[in-house]
Amino acid sequence: MMPRFSPSITLLTITIYVVSIAFPVHSQVPASRQAVPVLLSGGTIHTQAQGVIQNGMLLLEDGKISGMGTEIQVPENAVKIDISGKQVYPALIHSRNLMGLSEINAVPVTSDFAELGNINPNVRAEVAFHSASTHIGIAAAAGIGTIVSTPTSGIISGLSAAMQTDGWTWDQMTLKASTGLIVNWPDMLENENLDKQLTELHDAFDNARRYHHARKSSDAHPVDVRWEAMRAVFEGEMPVFIHANEISQIQAAISWAEREEITMVLTGARDAGYLASQLAQKNIPVVITPVIGGPARQWEHYGAAYALPAKLHNAGVEFCIAGDFGAASAYRLPFHAASAVAFGLPEDEALKALTLYPARILGLDTMIGSIEPGKDATLIITDGTPLEFATKIEKVFIQGKNIDLENKHRQLYNLYRQKVKQQDNPGENY
Amino acid sequence: MQYFPRITLWVLFTVIVFGLSAQSHRKPGLTDNTPTVFAFTNAQIIVSADVQYKDATMIVRDGWIEDVGSDITIPADAWITDMTGKTIYPGFIDIYTNLGLPNAEQIAERDEKFPNGNHHWNPQVRSFYDGQSDYTHCEKQSTDLRSQGFVAAHIVPPTGVFRGYGSLVKLADDVSSQQILATGLTQNISFRMSRELGRGYPTSAMGAIALIRQCFYDAQWYKGAKQAWQKAPATVEGYEFNPALDALSNSMDKDIPFVFETEDEQWFLRAINVANEFGIQPVIKGSGYEYRRVEAIKQANIPIILPLNFPDKHGTDKPEKALNISLEDLRHWYLAPENPAILTSHNIPFALTSYGMEDAKQFHKNLRKAVTRGLPKNEALRALTQTPSQLLNIYDRYGSLEKGKSACFFIASGNIFEEDSFIEQVWVQGEKHVVKENHSYLAGTWNVEIDDFGIAKMDIHNKDKGWEVNWRFEDEEPVKVSDFALKNQRISFTIEGDSLREGMRLSAFAGKDNLSGSAATDSQHFLSWIAQRSAAVSESEQQEGINNENEAATKDQKSYPAIPMLYPSMEYGIKEKPTQKSHILIRNATIWTQGPEDKLEDSDMLVEHGKIVRIGQNLEAPEGAHVIEAQGRHLTPGLIDPHLHTSIAGGVNETGDAITPETRITDVIDANNVWIYRLLAGGLTTGNLFHGSANPIGGQSAIFKMRWGSLAHELILENTKPGLKFALGENVKRSSDRYPDTRMGTREIIKDRFLAALQYEKEKKAAEESNNDKPFRKNLQLEAILEVLHGERLAHVHAYRQDEMLMMMRLAEKFDFTIASFEHTVEGYKIADELREHGAAAVIWTDWSSFKMEAYDAIHQNAKLLLDAGVHTSLHSDNTQLATRMNWEAGKVLKSGVSEIQAMNLITLYPAQILQIDDRVGSLEPGKDADFVLWNGHPLSAFTTADQTWIEGRLYFDRKQDQILQEDVIEQRNFLIQRIQSK
Repeated sequence: MMPRFSPSITLLTITIYVVSIAFPVHSQVPASRQAVPVLLSGGTIHTQAQGVIQNGMLLLEDGKISGMGTEIQVPENAVKIDISGKQVYPALIHSRNLMGLSEINAVPVTSDFAELGNINPNVRAEVAFHSASTHIGIAAAAGIGTIVSTPTSGIISGLSAAMQTDGWTWDQMTLKASTGLIVNWPDMLENENLDKQLTELHDAFDNARRYHHARKSSDAHPVDVRWEAMRAVFEGEMPVFIHANEISQIQAAISWAEREEITMVLTGARDAGYLASQLAQKNIPVVITPVIGGPARQWEHYGAAYALPAKLHNAGVEFCIAGDFGAASAYRLPFHAASAVAFGLPEDEALKALTLYPARILGLDTMIGSIEPGKDATLIITDGTPLEFATKIEKVFIQGKNIDLENKHRQLYNLYRQKVKQQDNPGENY
Repeated sequence: MQYFPRITLWVLFTVIVFGLSAQSHRKPGLTDNTPTVFAFTNAQIIVSADVQYKDATMIVRDGWIEDVGSDITIPADAWITDMTGKTIYPGFIDIYTNLGLPNAEQIAERDEKFPNGNHHWNPQVRSFYDGQSDYTHCEKQSTDLRSQGFVAAHIVPPTGVFRGYGSLVKLADDVSSQQILATGLTQNISFRMSRELGRGYPTSAMGAIALIRQCFYDAQWYKGAKQAWQKAPATVEGYEFNPALDALSNSMDKDIPFVFETEDEQWFLRAINVANEFGIQPVIKGSGYEYRRVEAIKQANIPIILPLNFPDKHGTDKPEKALNISLEDLRHWYLAPENPAILTSHNIPFALTSYGMEDAKQFHKNLRKAVTRGLPKNEALRALTQTPSQLLNIYDRYGSLEKGKSACFFIASGNIFEEDSFIEQVWVQGEKHVVKENHSYLAGTWNVEIDDFGIAKMDIHNKDKGWEVNWRFEDEEPVKVSDFALKNQRISFTIEGDSLREGMRLSAFAGKDNLSGSAATDSQHFLSWIAQRSAAVSESEQQEGINNENEAATKDQKSYPAIPMLYPSMEYGIKEKPTQKSHILIRNATIWTQGPEDKLEDSDMLVEHGKIVRIGQNLEAPEGAHVIEAQGRHLTPGLIDPHLHTSIAGGVNETGDAITPETRITDVIDANNVWIYRLLAGGLTTGNLFHGSANPIGGQSAIFKMRWGSLAHELILENTKPGLKFALGENVKRSSDRYPDTRMGTREIIKDRFLAALQYEKEKKAAEESNNDKPFRKNLQLEAILEVLHGERLAHVHAYRQDEMLMMMRLAEKFDFTIASFEHTVEGYKIADELREHGAAAVIWTDWSSFKMEAYDAIHQNAKLLLDAGVHTSLHSDNTQLATRMNWEAGKVLKSGVSEIQAMNLITLYPAQILQIDDRVGSLEPGKDADFVLWNGHPLSAFTTADQTWIEGRLYFDRKQDQILQEDVIEQRNFLIQRIQSK
């Protein structure tokens, strides 16, 4: 039987219906694959690899950059977008974040980044990536095209994955799986279980190496899912991202990685400034996570954390800048780089530290990180440097898709502006 | 006696100071009639810190000093002991110990078996507790203290906030009850709770202070109520016997000292504040940190009980560990031993205690360290004798060796404040305790003859560290002596063999100036030997003594170079308060006035004596003005953060109760916080400090300026309208065993307290009008709430969700007051029109989101929507590091379309208006405080930082000066770490 609605309820229902049409979901509508070529012309192209092209032309085809210059050949069917006076940059890369694995910190059921136990080399971020997380759209609207979704817990936390900030499902959004094996270096100063934890780490690598050897000699050896996941490390195909902040942690990690003959990337790296020359000499790349923060020690200078990127840059260390670890705060990424500029890092280096450098460190540089023909058409169009607060990110292309920048914040903002309007001008909507 | 102005005669009739052992003990066996009359002759007698005799005599009869002086008649019945070469000191009083008293755990155990009954509703209030009733003799501790020259100890119960009465015990071996010399000497208070007694209220330092304050009010009320009740029981409601309040009011009446245990110099000053509020006589158990604020401490003019537990060396062995030590800790390691000397040089009276030392037997070692660092020996003595006795009001019997006083003294081999002298005997009320035998009959130079081996010389010296023996055969080099021992009056030792003769093992008994003994050579050849003493002091020693004395003084001074005093005594501390320039002219800046003039290009600002006087173009510099050329730079008001939790000592939340409006942030501001300097570096000049969000009704807030280097009370902004923190939502319902557990209950408990406050007001008025002497009990909780209801105190309400904010506004409207601000106001944008209509301000983050459920609907456009809707809005940090970059926070708001001027208003004018301090700060307008920041670029740019930060015309942060400070921090650390490693 049809229920009978009172007029007011009917009205409410209609309102909800109308609203839900206008504001369908708390996320952008994912774009479909690039079908037609797109020409961006008239903008200033900050390639990050080949200098700056004024009044340039940029052709995007099949998700790739197929042409770049001041005069290029353009297919007839290309959609032409005039971006005169605008700036083009590669989309920003966030190298270490909980995106997709965590929705609300204090609500444990929304967390999927910490598997049980200390040794979890086999767990993979991309398969748990919540593609409808409300935080993705916020990051995308801030110009971030790729986020490395990173599990963290115990000693070996799992495998990180580079995820694009637009798509219907995690497999559409995965740019590259297994960008690295995540290791959390144990606390070396006040840690009762230090010996035990180091032994666990060493044993895991010993066991995995023996397993790798056995599997190489015979496929008949039964699969061990944990050690199987680490084989790429021993083949030199996957770096180990070691998270360490305090000096003795960093030193211990470096010497361990040398003994293990593995490719190491240092993340966290709060005290890396004290070891800059060593890091440079040994060609150990650093992911600074984050820049904005206070000094670790009471006597240290108020700007110690902000000054770290400049310190590493001056010492010739290969580094990139990651922002906050929390998913909701991923969008702040450019401000971390900007704060480094305020404390001595050249501005162009700060931009590279969000684009070209992380792409290299993460092994994504054949696809993203710079604007060059052959690379993914993953870029942003702005009215100024993305590092500055007042800059507007006007368009974001991910693999040639001009993505929807609508997101939960904008939707709620627009919704509740209606409320104020209603109060101030009752009846206007009718 | 200028420092003891209030010693009263009450001692005579309220405290019993006992004489010799009480006669009440039945003694079995035969009567002891051994005479107890002694004459100590030819002694150096130190009567007190100011009087001493050479070659003097002291007569002791039955435990009392009968006479003392250099020319006195020795009574015929006295037993004479020749004290040539010895020094007699008045016995030390250890004025702060927990000797023989049960600890908190034991008290808690007993409380469980015998519940408190009606003692006090709060288990931390134990003012009724008389420690001596539980006193138990502790042989080890007692002997250890005595070995350091102590004859008596003030015993202080170690449990609770109000800890109870202190008593004096003698350090003797009698049965416990006979050791008690005086009772009811002090009341003792600590700001630290004994958690063994329960984990409830208070949980924070500000809660502890609030409890102390309420207890003193209650004690005052109790006294009146008791008197009224005694007159006419039927008319007094609410009076019941309460031993805790009874004891407190008695102690206040009798004006006995209240001893406050403090943890550093700031706690010292906090204790003084509490004491002054109630006119009680405080004594401070100090911390060793007093040197850091010696001027303020001198002003307090209060005697201190100083511990000598100097900090350990910090672990600097590993370079990466050394890196973690703060300059503050390094400085304290270096300066702590100088603390007594610094206090002395400021004429601040103090008593010394062994309290806090792991091993009381190290007391003299540390005492000598203090002397080495400049503490005059006579002041050291005073601090262990006269001062403690005066503080405890027992100087009529103890604390000096004057005629008629108790015979409590010790005999030392020399000057006890110098190396190598030691205490031989301690006499406690006429009873001798041997600490270390002098064996003077052995000391000196002996001429030895041994069968077959010939003649030798032996020097024996009894040093503080042990025996030192030299042996030399005639016309030969010294040979090595080892294993020297004295047991059962027989000495034994070994002489090592060499190329000339074999070694041997010797032993001997001493007669008067001669030794006779036997020896066995390594080949077991048996010999006999004799020796004659030629000098009572060894020859080598005589020479040594002269040289040492001259060298020591100069060496010590050289080896401890002075380091400058810093305020606070830590990294980036300043040597003196920045001067207030009479005139300052900033020229050609872009001035963000945040006033009616908006933003002015190429303009000047003139400051006079800390106030802004003019803003315009081409202003003329008055003579002697400090001129700043600011071409290309931006000038803004000092930034204001209306919501911070930094620089709060001892806990931000009082979680022991859901309703804690009696707690006050002003009680616990911590001026020794390097973040104040860091905030200045970020351009922040004013902040509002809040109680945390654990309670529906939290504590009273405090607005402070970043006057780095000032004392806590000097940081507080003067004459502001007070505030009170409320909290709603997830945080207040987090503890599962405390009401409320829901948002529903949160409303009820707040409403309930509002009603209680109104009822309280009625009763208060009635009491005032009734005109009888019926006392009214002041309730600090309800007083604060009443102020809110009357609009005299601003209500700042922590809230996230729209429903809870709406609830609070409706509740406030029911009680006819306005909410000043919601704090965080995450869903403020959902009720912008309601906020505007009620008149509540929204204090918000720029972009905090999703860290908990109630923050999930946070949007970055919150400020934009609220401002557009006409809601009074401000940014806040709620996080100290964030507060160092509020210009960047405001910069982020630009993204949502907020104008530049509005964005700047969010961190200057608007927070000032919300806190109602905009008459002084928040904009650059004539008449306002000269609090301003000079930026190296556009202040809302992500690349911009502060060049200079000024408060009231004083330069508190300067980027150039900061470089120098930074280098100085590194230099000081290097120097101090080297010092630690070199020792």
